[in-house]
Amino acid sequence: MSLTAAVDVRRGEFRLEVCFDVAAGDVLAVLGPNGSGKSTLLRCVAGLLPIDRGRIVIDDAVLDDPDERIFVPPERRPVGVVFQEHLLFDHLTASENVAFGLRARGTPRAAARRVAADWLERVGLADLGHSRPGELSGGQAQRVALARALAFDPALLLLDEPLAALDASVRQDVRRNLRSHLDGFPGTRLLVTHDPMDVYALADRVAVLEDGRIVQQGSIAEVTAHPRSRYVADLVGTNLVRGTVTDGILVTPTGATVVVPAEPGDVFAVIRPQAITVATGAAPGSSARNAWPGTVRDIDRLGDRVRLGIDGAFPLVAEITAAALEALALRPGDPVVASVKATDITTFPA
Amino acid sequence: MTARRRTERRPLPLPVLLLAVVAIAFFALPFLGLLWRAPWGSVVDVVTEPSVRTALWLSLRTSLTAAALAVLFGVPLAWLLARVSFPGRSAVRALCILSMVLPPVVGGVALFFSFGRRGLFGQYLDRWFDVQLPFTTWGVVVAQTFVSMPFLVITVEAALRQVDRRYEDAARTLGGSRWYVFRRVTVPAIRPALIAGTVLAWARALGEFGATITFAGNFPGTTQTLPLATYLALETAPEEAIVISLVLVSISFAVLAGLRDRWLGGARGMLP
Repeated sequence: MSLTAAVDVRRGEFRLEVCFDVAAGDVLAVLGPNGSGKSTLLRCVAGLLPIDRGRIVIDDAVLDDPDERIFVPPERRPVGVVFQEHLLFDHLTASENVAFGLRARGTPRAAARRVAADWLERVGLADLGHSRPGELSGGQAQRVALARALAFDPALLLLDEPLAALDASVRQDVRRNLRSHLDGFPGTRLLVTHDPMDVYALADRVAVLEDGRIVQQGSIAEVTAHPRSRYVADLVGTNLVRGTVTDGILVTPTGATVVVPAEPGDVFAVIRPQAITVATGAAPGSSARNAWPGTVRDIDRLGDRVRLGIDGAFPLVAEITAAALEALALRPGDPVVASVKATDITTFPA
Repeated sequence: MTARRRTERRPLPLPVLLLAVVAIAFFALPFLGLLWRAPWGSVVDVVTEPSVRTALWLSLRTSLTAAALAVLFGVPLAWLLARVSFPGRSAVRALCILSMVLPPVVGGVALFFSFGRRGLFGQYLDRWFDVQLPFTTWGVVVAQTFVSMPFLVITVEAALRQVDRRYEDAARTLGGSRWYVFRRVTVPAIRPALIAGTVLAWARALGEFGATITFAGNFPGTTQTLPLATYLALETAPEEAIVISLVLVSISFAVLAGLRDRWLGGARGMLP
């Protein structure tokens, strides 16, 4: 169940022109700010917006190809969508919402109800089947929306900013919960978001969108470590370190340690390259709890800023100004100390 | 010492309040006048009189049929006006709600020259299908539908314009055909407006006078509805007219008052 899409579509002045594919069972995140064309892309794949040129294929089934005059309408595509604001039907109960896709496809009421009950149980809402959407919390509504999109067994799941409608206070929990449900779905998933944290936590691969074009795509490790433009660097260029936290110290599989403000458990730590201070020799009397000695691997200039690749206990990318680079007179192979304050590190459960 | 509860107060500006009270009095006084002159002793006699009962029964039948026809044709018309942009849409809309502002007698005359036995279309209805509308009960229904459907159309069209279309998109991605989505998502979303529009159209049909008497005439049992009976009784038995008027007022008032909070809720999320 793979998705291959070549999309060329105009909406007024805006033009979306992208090409990508998602392998069966993979999660691709399309990352971009508002107005970059994420939602347009999603609408094209869902069939809510016909493309002007190109081709959208799921497995061997062509869904949209203007040259061959093929257009499969949304109701006949094997595609489930979780919308940004969930868009649950207010006049139906949670259970009726989940059953909607099956009922629309002609499944008898009793059978649809049984499947809906199964799904509600799977997302941990077995007791709330009779609730109206207005009575659900943001996180619960999102789980109902997910169950509704999956209940009719689609081959492809589209998620439109699945966490944007939630309060910041619950987003972390819902994100972890969403990830465990997504892991249980065998189909292909396409996620669009403006939040890099969604990408790190939910996806395998990322495509970065800018003004209707994909400027870089690849595995998350690849793109975060080697952004090819200022734009991508600002958006996702960061250090992701995975490890186990005990007593406020994260230990990586290779034995390196990072002091983090996190609860015990398996976590990802996000260390922004801009938060890292680079010094030659030992960092003198700094309040930074983390100081890692290493050697400069490579130096990438992105305009007036410089990204330093540093090899040490684990690979790191630090971002400094061109002026700082000059003052430090660094060259590849030079020894440095990279330090960062524990409070500048954000973590999320792995 | 007793402490007075201090609640948040937002006093109305006095002139607004006074004018509003005058408006309420303006609507209340005519009905008080009716109640004042009502022959309370003979109410039961008048209401159970065969001619009045016949007119009441005819009025209910025709007005409910007209309301049903207004829904059947008016909802698709409202959908077309709200959702499909085509050249001349404003002109079509104006045409379809014209009968709301036209003097009903003019509407009746227009109906007569189009659907009458010698009318533009009526002659073919007569010749080909042996259907005559004027001076028949169906003529009453046609006249009532003609003047009442616009009330439904403008109410439903406004609601359709406000519906959040993303819910319809969501329903399409879930496998709903256009017709299924219309029935299961769009109609529930506009339900309050649909009910309000239906009741307004029905109330207008119930009170219809001018178009009915012009197009369908005034025959007891077939075309003499309650408003026609009232008008007729005014000349011969004014007390009877007052009682019939009170019956009309009571029916309409009960429905309009019951409508407000009972059915106007529901499906709020899909409207902004």
